Amino acid sequence: MTTAIDGGRPGARSMLTLVGCEAKMVVRDTAGLVVPIGLPLLILLTSASGAGDDVIVNGRTALDLYVLPLLLAMVMGAIGIINMPSFLAYYRRSGILRRLGVTPASPLMVLFAQAVVSLVQAAVGIALALFVAVVFFDARPPVDVGAALGVLALAMAAMYGTGMIVAALAPTPNSAVAIGLVGFLGIGAIGGMFGGREALPPALAEVGGWLPVGATVDALGAAWAGTAVDAPPLIGLAAAILVGTVTAVAFFRWE
Amino acid sequence: MTEDEPAIFAEGLAKSYRGKVAVADVSLRVERGETFGILGTNGAGKTTTVEMLAGLRKPDHGTVRILGLDPRGDRRRVRQVLGVQLQHAHLHNALRVKELIGLYRSFYRSPRSTAELLEMVDLREQAGIVFEKLSGGQQQRLSIALALAGRPRVVILDELTTGLDPKARRRMWAMVERLQQEGVSILLVSHAMEEVERLCDRVALIDGGRVIALGTPRGIVAGAGEETLDDAFVALTGREPEDIG
Repeated sequence: MTTAIDGGRPGARSMLTLVGCEAKMVVRDTAGLVVPIGLPLLILLTSASGAGDDVIVNGRTALDLYVLPLLLAMVMGAIGIINMPSFLAYYRRSGILRRLGVTPASPLMVLFAQAVVSLVQAAVGIALALFVAVVFFDARPPVDVGAALGVLALAMAAMYGTGMIVAALAPTPNSAVAIGLVGFLGIGAIGGMFGGREALPPALAEVGGWLPVGATVDALGAAWAGTAVDAPPLIGLAAAILVGTVTAVAFFRWE
Repeated sequence: MTEDEPAIFAEGLAKSYRGKVAVADVSLRVERGETFGILGTNGAGKTTTVEMLAGLRKPDHGTVRILGLDPRGDRRRVRQVLGVQLQHAHLHNALRVKELIGLYRSFYRSPRSTAELLEMVDLREQAGIVFEKLSGGQQQRLSIALALAGRPRVVILDELTTGLDPKARRRMWAMVERLQQEGVSILLVSHAMEEVERLCDRVALIDGGRVIALGTPRGIVAGAGEETLDDAFVALTGREPEDIG
């Protein structure tokens, strides 16, 4: 028997295998796909028909400037704020992380694989919502595509950041799921998810505009209209990323 | 260098949880190629000891070395040579047997083949079944296969055959004997006296967080002035065999 011990870390092929396994888990858990992919389509079907009639600016209608940004914010929010903490809760509660802890795999590999799979999920959800909106409701693409893509990336990171706050501060794995859901609905409600923010009390509407859902809607709406994206929503999204990262580093525990 | 280091070395291990002592003082040494048993009742400190040996828990006091390496400080190298089967199998519920084996194989440099692993734990016919649809015994056998996926030089098996039917139990014993022939060092946590007597070169009896007897199964029986390991266990711990778990 040789005595040299190679401290090999699992490589790219292992990472791919893990991503494949995570993807299979997600696909086989069909209930988990309903919120990020099914719900936005449902809202699109119920609210798109009236919103596509009147042009507001640059040939874009309320559908383009408001409904679509909101749908995309919802897809990303559901994945980042609800699904991500639930996934981490499941891994912690089930002891899968403990089992992986005695293999060369690291928890960061698991987190990375999950992030890849959920990004694909978000991309599918966004592509599907856009496809349906364009084909069936005459929605138009953003005037400033580059800005839209940039805002999408920033928004997705902000949603993950918010999800990490939930995962880090939830006292038990089960409560992470509940807090994620309530958090998503709360941030969504004051972000315009159940009707325009202008109907909210001014202070609440102001706060909602800084939080990830409202900020995403505002920034994406600007990109769609081709107008300059204001600083406040971008600052709000960046703050969510920063606070999420700091909270996760300080408080998140794998076990 | 790790040339002369024992497979597992533990000295003065101690661990308390919120003031309650789980392990008071455990030292043991598993030589290379040896099969070493740990016997004890529920709450004797076996599981905490195993978790410290496997590097899952940091001891309050004491030292652990696997082939001369610190399982917490030198995690990457230790994980490539140490296989651990934990008492309760926690795996991805929705993955199939062969997918789980593929995943765990991918973590290692020179893994055993999927076919060999399936054959070792007799799960060839279940390869396409998802984890949550397996019986308890099948889940446990899969968990054992995953512990062997990386062709480890040292294996920790916690409650190897608990909950298995007699046929599966004998199959696992044959699997251990095959590992022994390959020169693998094995730490076997068990409460099945027959299993320990058959498979282990030496045994440590743990009670109240301490090693209260250490030696060959035959030596422990003789030292206690008894006829069987069962009787020796009762004589040494003052507990009935029913308490053993």
